[in-house]
Amino acid sequence: MELERTEAVPAVPSVGIPAGRRTFLRWLLGFSVFSTLAMVATPVLGFLVPPKSTSNQAGGRVLAGTTADVPVGSGKVVAMGSTPVIVTNTAQGFHAFSAVCTHLGCIVAFDSTLGQIGCPCHGGVFNASTGAVVSGPPPAPLKPVTVVVEKDQIFLVNS
Amino acid sequence: MAGRDEVLGATTAPHSAVGAKPADTWLERRTGLGALSGALLHVRIPIESRTWYLGGLTLFLFGLQIATGTLLALYYKPTPDGAYDSVKFITSGVTFGWLIRSIHHWGANLMIICMVLHVVRIFWQGAYKHRREVLWLVGAGLLVVTIGFGFTGYLLPWDQRAFWATTVGTEIAGSVPVVGDSLLNLLRGGADVTEATLSRFFGMHVLVLPLLLAALLAVHLTIVHHLGLANPKKAEPNGPEPGGKLKPFFPNYVLDEVIAWYAVLAILVILASVLPAGLEDKANALETPPHIKPEWYFLFLYELLKMVPRLVGIVLPGIALGVLALLPFLDRNPEVRPRKRPIALGIGLLTLAAIAVLTVMGAG
Amino acid sequence: MMPTPRRDVFARLTRRAGAVAAICLFVAVVLARTAAAESPTPVVPTPTPSPAASAGASLGPSASLAPIATAAPVTTPSGSPGPTLPPVPKPIVHPSDASSNTCYDCHSAVNATQAQISSQWSDSVHGKNGVGCADCHGGDPRSTSMSVAMSPQAGFIGKPSKAVSVGVCGSCHSDAARMAQYQLATDEYAKYATSVHGQLLAAGDSRVAACIDCHGSHDIKKASDPTAAVYPLNVPKLCSSCHSNTQLMQPYGIPTDQYAIYSQSVHGQDLLQKADLRAPTCASCHGSHDAKPPKSSDVVDVCGKCHTATQALYEKSRHSTLDVGPKCWTCHGTHDVQPTSEDRLFHPTPPTVNCTICHDPVTNTFRLKTEQFATDADRRCDTCHHSASAEYAQASGIRDALVKASATYDTADAKLQQAAALGMIVTDADVALTEARTDLIQARAAVHTTQLTDVATLTDAAVAKAGEADAFADSKLSESTFRREAMVAVVIVIALNVFVLLAVRRRIHRDDHAAEGEAPVA
Repeated sequence: MELERTEAVPAVPSVGIPAGRRTFLRWLLGFSVFSTLAMVATPVLGFLVPPKSTSNQAGGRVLAGTTADVPVGSGKVVAMGSTPVIVTNTAQGFHAFSAVCTHLGCIVAFDSTLGQIGCPCHGGVFNASTGAVVSGPPPAPLKPVTVVVEKDQIFLVNS
Repeated sequence: MAGRDEVLGATTAPHSAVGAKPADTWLERRTGLGALSGALLHVRIPIESRTWYLGGLTLFLFGLQIATGTLLALYYKPTPDGAYDSVKFITSGVTFGWLIRSIHHWGANLMIICMVLHVVRIFWQGAYKHRREVLWLVGAGLLVVTIGFGFTGYLLPWDQRAFWATTVGTEIAGSVPVVGDSLLNLLRGGADVTEATLSRFFGMHVLVLPLLLAALLAVHLTIVHHLGLANPKKAEPNGPEPGGKLKPFFPNYVLDEVIAWYAVLAILVILASVLPAGLEDKANALETPPHIKPEWYFLFLYELLKMVPRLVGIVLPGIALGVLALLPFLDRNPEVRPRKRPIALGIGLLTLAAIAVLTVMGAG
Repeated sequence: MMPTPRRDVFARLTRRAGAVAAICLFVAVVLARTAAAESPTPVVPTPTPSPAASAGASLGPSASLAPIATAAPVTTPSGSPGPTLPPVPKPIVHPSDASSNTCYDCHSAVNATQAQISSQWSDSVHGKNGVGCADCHGGDPRSTSMSVAMSPQAGFIGKPSKAVSVGVCGSCHSDAARMAQYQLATDEYAKYATSVHGQLLAAGDSRVAACIDCHGSHDIKKASDPTAAVYPLNVPKLCSSCHSNTQLMQPYGIPTDQYAIYSQSVHGQDLLQKADLRAPTCASCHGSHDAKPPKSSDVVDVCGKCHTATQALYEKSRHSTLDVGPKCWTCHGTHDVQPTSEDRLFHPTPPTVNCTICHDPVTNTFRLKTEQFATDADRRCDTCHHSASAEYAQASGIRDALVKASATYDTADAKLQQAAALGMIVTDADVALTEARTDLIQARAAVHTTQLTDVATLTDAAVAKAGEADAFADSKLSESTFRREAMVAVVIVIALNVFVLLAVRRRIHRDDHAAEGEAPVA
């Protein structure tokens, strides 16, 4: 046997519910529906509106600056998202490395007297073209970051 | 008394009762949907049926996953370079992004839990018997597709946890005898987990599996509608007997279902706010983190593989899945009451206990 | 072939006589040369007031300061050059052919001790590089006859005395041409002559350390061999094998607690516990072959050999311009260097200051009494600078700047961790926090300049960066709080909805119950 389908809802003897209460119940249901819709729509609509900061959105490439910002024989520390990166410009061209010193985590800087990357905390020195340790306590070279130069813009590629 | 129709408004077309809206409303004249909705809603179900609304909850959660997943897809970038940053951006940069992502994350977990509990309920009530074999098979398909959803979706944030859990998971798939290597290649889009893997997992997760699930779901619900809800108290090989007590599906059952849906929504909101989905370090193929574990619903399999030889660890669950799918054909006992099915329930309980113990061991 | 006892005794006597004769010859030559006011070996510099053995000055933190004053130090008298080692002798001339080493052949079978010595030699770096018994002991390694093999005519000197052994080692190891193939230095003999050990040995004291005491005699290994006694990680133990022995050190009045103190220090912990080869051993500061405690004026260079940046900073300070100004060891100690921080700049309560401690009222000059800094608690700025002085105010300013920067950093760090624990993503503040930490580390190092401006520039930068991270953490924390509050609101809305639905449900069931005239169903 198939499920019995309701052909007709049998007439129900009314036990006098005042019209006010009926309206109240309908109002409650309406509120229920409305509040649910509002509760759902608010985050959905908020989510759809694009946020103002688009720095991370580019997922992959970050503009580090222009070639004028980093002349030959200098280096500059920029933020690639939440990672500090040092961009150097040497005779071997543009290079970029993680700016976190491999010794104890200080942020390195370009040392113009040495022409290399130096860490101000304990005197570590890194090669500005290869990131290799030249002297001092750092145990490992700086991690390289891919750098792409288009016209006069320097991009760092997140990988 | 304000009858249910008074409060809710009748939707049956020509034969509606006192106080119902006119049959040919503006919409009705232009769509003719009244008859369909009436046919779907105005059915009756056995008074003894006890579903705990688990199947409906799974459906609700699936709908929620579609909604939140679609929203996430508006910002997500399925490349190794873009995936991590875009997920981080969603979580910390987009308004309510954390909420949508966390609901999606917890929704996935709850959906699997509800689905498993639904399967257990069906098993316990013998609701896979008496003309429900095809329904059960389709359900087995739904189970596999849902697990597939979980597996493919887990990789998408492309952080260390995602990457290495996928590596381990596909490695297990690669251990299947005979077809293992081809399967591994197929899953990973190559020999290793790379951007090719991310591409095909994304495509699976966002297109293939949703369409497949929707199709299976349509069949599943149609059959459920056709056969009605099972009666846990007595076997009904030919449907409910004439004298059987029934109650309306709409509004009684539907109302309870919606209340359950609200309750689960509240749980999801609490979980999303108190335990938001996090993000570990970006995936690094050269650095294996110390404790890689697959997601919790694979832990039992992972633990089993540690204890038995590889082959056994692959074949045994395979056989178990086969038995599960073919259960209605293997269990010919016409009884549905628990007392009359000691063997089936005994085996079922043991299997559940084993899976639970293995899961806990895997988590520890 | 078993040697007969008599021959053995005779041989030994001959060797001893030869050794004594050699020494007398050396001393005579030295005296003659000194008298001629011409010295090819470096003149031993007079020990100046240094944290060393001269009476009156104290040796840094060692607990046993008193013994210096009471014991009778056997040191060279100040003011006049003491006896020095003779010029390095030539290698022992002895017959040989390329392959024979009958010494080894016989001695390895004589008895257990000799057998051990023989096998030690054959395993040693000398044994593996063709330096045979005769090269150090003389004799004829071709002959199997003892009287020939161990004859003075063949150059046999037997077991050399300590002073002679130094010359034997030096005879090859100071020869640049010979050492070139091994890339070994050739200045050890010259350096040893300048050391306290060398000077004492030249004065006739053979209890001091010479080549064989540290490097071994038969079992010499390369210094780069981790099992060698002179391998850096093993050096403290080696030095302390004599220098921690109270009996041995008593005649010299040298304290014996250095090793114990050093092993508790930062340097000792790094070297001995963490096996960090960059950490200094005894030899790093005292020298190895030229071992002597560094002079007060040399200390900055000794510490600055590794701590180059700190030395550069120190040389900018007023302290470095004063002869009697504090040096590295004044505030940091010698053997007992510990990690330091900004709350170690002042005493908890200002000490009583007596002007004459630092100001000599008679000569109207500064003086620095090193015993004031003997205990760790007194290595503070206000041990010298009284609380009303301008220097005190400056040091106070430095301390306050550092404390503030440190506190700001710690607060920001704690807040970020708290936010992370609540599930917020905080990696965007990492850059600011790391920059703050970099500045803070540099600021702490800048204390050595004693310039408030130098320190303040860095602490201000650190505070600014830490402030950025702190603000970021605050925003994340307040967002987390907002989320939880919003969650409560949403759950309330959902609960209201559920109540409404439950009310409707009750209504419907009463409806059904009335319709069917039966007990309401669940």
